[in-house]
Amino acid sequence: MLIVDQTKCTGCRICELACSAKKEGVFRPSLARLKVVRYDDLGVDIPNVCGPCEEAPCVEVCPVYAMRRDPISRMTFLDEDKCILCKSCAGACVNGVIRLDTSRMRILKCDHCGGDPECAKACPTGAIQYATAAQASVLSRHDKITGYLREIRRTAQTQESGGES
Amino acid sequence: MPSEWVAEYIGGDGFAARILYDEVPAKADPLGEKNRLILATGPVTGTLWPMSGRTVFISKSPLTGIWGESHVGGFIGPELKYAGYDVLVIEGRAEKPVYVSICDQDLEIINASDLWGLKTDEVSAAIRSRHNDPDVQVAAIGPAGERCVRFASVIVNNARAAGRTGMGAVLGSKNVKAIAVRGHQGIAVNDHERFVELANDAHRRVRQNPQAQQMHKYGTWVLTAVKQTIGELPTYNHRTGVFSGWEKLSGDYIRPRYTIGDRACFGCSLGCKKVNYIREGPYAGTLEEGPEYEGLMAFGSLLGISDFPTALRANQICNRLGVDMISAGSCIAFATEAFQNGLIDSKMTGGIDLEWGNSEQALRLLDMIGNRTGFGDLLAEGSREASRRIGRGSEQFAIHVKGLEVSGQDGRTHRSIGLSHATGARGADHLRSLVTVDQLGYQEVAAKRWGCDKLPEIVDPYTEKYKAAAVVETENTYCIRDALIVCWYSVSWPPIFWMEDFAQMLPVLTGVSRFGERKNLIEIAERQVTLKRLFNAREGISRKDDTLPKRFTVDPMPEGPGKGQKVNLEPMLNDYYRLRGWDEITGLPTEETVRRLTLEWTHSHSASS
Repeated sequence: MLIVDQTKCTGCRICELACSAKKEGVFRPSLARLKVVRYDDLGVDIPNVCGPCEEAPCVEVCPVYAMRRDPISRMTFLDEDKCILCKSCAGACVNGVIRLDTSRMRILKCDHCGGDPECAKACPTGAIQYATAAQASVLSRHDKITGYLREIRRTAQTQESGGES
Repeated sequence: MPSEWVAEYIGGDGFAARILYDEVPAKADPLGEKNRLILATGPVTGTLWPMSGRTVFISKSPLTGIWGESHVGGFIGPELKYAGYDVLVIEGRAEKPVYVSICDQDLEIINASDLWGLKTDEVSAAIRSRHNDPDVQVAAIGPAGERCVRFASVIVNNARAAGRTGMGAVLGSKNVKAIAVRGHQGIAVNDHERFVELANDAHRRVRQNPQAQQMHKYGTWVLTAVKQTIGELPTYNHRTGVFSGWEKLSGDYIRPRYTIGDRACFGCSLGCKKVNYIREGPYAGTLEEGPEYEGLMAFGSLLGISDFPTALRANQICNRLGVDMISAGSCIAFATEAFQNGLIDSKMTGGIDLEWGNSEQALRLLDMIGNRTGFGDLLAEGSREASRRIGRGSEQFAIHVKGLEVSGQDGRTHRSIGLSHATGARGADHLRSLVTVDQLGYQEVAAKRWGCDKLPEIVDPYTEKYKAAAVVETENTYCIRDALIVCWYSVSWPPIFWMEDFAQMLPVLTGVSRFGERKNLIEIAERQVTLKRLFNAREGISRKDDTLPKRFTVDPMPEGPGKGQKVNLEPMLNDYYRLRGWDEITGLPTEETVRRLTLEWTHSHSASS
């Protein structure tokens, strides 16, 4: 699943660029399957991704069972052959990441890039990570230690090269 | 836009210079209808290449009367590209307050009478609410721009500023309160796969660069300690270069006490923006991004204030009212020194006894400048004009070049920036040719770039030797940076990307093979610099104006590691003109250079000839 640590998000939107680059072959954040919500007044940035949800409104609401959950990966996906473009899923998605592409009249649904999501690879701060649910809390603790170690290394490097820390 | 312009200028600053020279006649009033406000992007803007969020405002400056430009980060540049535009040109003047609203191919000019008077963050919120779209990107002016404060800024995303040279005043003079952009289209590049490969590799280089990692933590605050060490921290109106209160203005001090978050601009993996919060004291409750090092200087050491909360509050006021923080701080410093020397009195200031180190006073004056009230109305004209009106020899305390106040550098302890300040098209410009390898002592980088034979002088900040060569080379690289447009933190301290990297990337991005050769990029850069110079020449600028305040050329540095140092400008100027192909006596481009750079078309628009 995609795990988000919003305290790490800087709002750079490189994830949106990487997603549209991969899926559409152009740089077009309006067609990205994820979205960074930016609050300039608060100084906060929050990546909205398809986790997927444990209980997925998109799956629940689809009238023709086009939106389903893969039994192995647990990921929600869209069977385009069955989709009737009622757009209920786009309305039901609580994260707002199911988009309607009006130029080609189709639903845009994140598919984790088949298991190797571009957004997680592109994120410069690790705000978006791809791991199992069990790994999520381990990643978080592990992150803190690696964060300290990285900081110690950086300070040592800077002092070696004669700069200020 | 003629397609030949791409090969000659690439984009960004280049396109804007071409348009501004062509369309704005000589001696036009910057606040008049004939001036143009240009918002320009480049081919990289909105793509994956780091750091592609930057865009530029260009116009004839109301502060200096010559070339004006100001770059800004945030998110409006990419949005303009996604709407399908490369450049936006605003001309004439609206009868009543309006804002320009772009949504893909729809461009409307909408009544803004209910927005006039609002602060810049309120404008963004109001426009987003009105269009029912939180993703509209807004560039707004505040009360300062409306009142044509000569150094009024344009604010994007609440806290990112196109600060210098009064671009906000130009918008204000046209009754344009804001530019709102929403784009849903995309950008296709020439070789998508290869470009993504190069861009991903470039992002990796940014993340692994040690200086970039420093900047991710402290932003430009890394500079305070460095400058104090070399004696270049502008203090008491640039009188000296060391400040006893420097520590409280350093990154190490500020971050643990005040910083609560890191943010970035579009497409940036460095993330230098810092969100800060003041918990106690007179400015408790202040939540704001920034300031930059320049702000720590302008409302810190320059005024003898050693207090981060003051600098943050000043930054917030500058963001809300839309005022250039550097010019504002410099004007207050000018007034303070003039007052301390008995050249102005409390009758002129409206009862304020100007003194160094007074936070509350500085913020009060800033508010007065932004709103053009009382004594602030005079300072809002800029320190050159204010000192001219005051007279009595106060000109010696107005620290500017060509009318643009000097920023957080001092040529006495960093010779190359002295040359940059003197020759910059905007005036005292610290961004168009700032050489950093000599300031920060990057010996290996300098040796690799310019050869060991130039060491040690080329990395010695206290000597004039070889500095012009370093300045010219750096200026050329920055011209390409300003044409692409990318953020300058990717090309400095020391550069992560050099001209060669852009030569590798550009053909892949644009399909224009001539961009693949460094010598062609250098020619494009030289064209940009010379065209800006021709613009200024048409306004009467020549060698006589390429000067520095006497504070840097006559008064020796009074203390610190650079004690006794002065700038000897003339030899550096001679070298610079020679390298640029400009006449050594007039400082103007020779006919040969104009021909070589295919700029003969300027003859039909020149003031003389």
